[in-house]
Amino acid sequence: MSIQEQLKQVIDENEIVLFMKGTPDFPQCGFSGKTAQMLQSFEIPFASVDVLASEEVRQGIKEYSSWPTIPQLYVRGEFVGGCDIMSELYESGELAAIIKAEKTESS
Amino acid sequence: MTITADQIEQWIRVGLSEQAQVSVEGDGRHFFATIVSDDFLGQSLIARHQMIYKILGDKMHAEIHALSLKTLTTAEA
Repeated sequence: MSIQEQLKQVIDENEIVLFMKGTPDFPQCGFSGKTAQMLQSFEIPFASVDVLASEEVRQGIKEYSSWPTIPQLYVRGEFVGGCDIMSELYESGELAAIIKAEKTESS
Repeated sequence: MTITADQIEQWIRVGLSEQAQVSVEGDGRHFFATIVSDDFLGQSLIARHQMIYKILGDKMHAEIHALSLKTLTTAEA
């Protein structure tokens, strides 16, 4: 699988996934740490990928979203944004709404 | 050569329409840009930030280490 395919798989298979520098318990960058904290405050499980562990992943995820910076949050396959956007959404309550939204199934 | 906040301000300004207000602060490593412009009308936050990243182009990959963006329309400011 190409790196893009691998990333797509991770993003599709995890409802909430944060691509960050370091891990939520040991962030390696202030912006990444902030986003991990925001997610932790919701007390829901989320996946995280440490881009520092792989240069391929670090470059690949930027290409995937055409977004030049880390961290990057994906919820249900969609790119939500980086630290700035997440902070604004967090403060307006929109991030909580996005995270906690029920999966809508069409029947 | 270290990038200055003024340079980033110029680069962004050039890419937006004349009524845009651009203010950039930074220490040479981390920069904070506040941009008020009606170029952002009708645009999601992601689209607004993408607009700025596009204006800066390659500089985002090479020269700018970290850039925080605050993007507002004149009505939101």
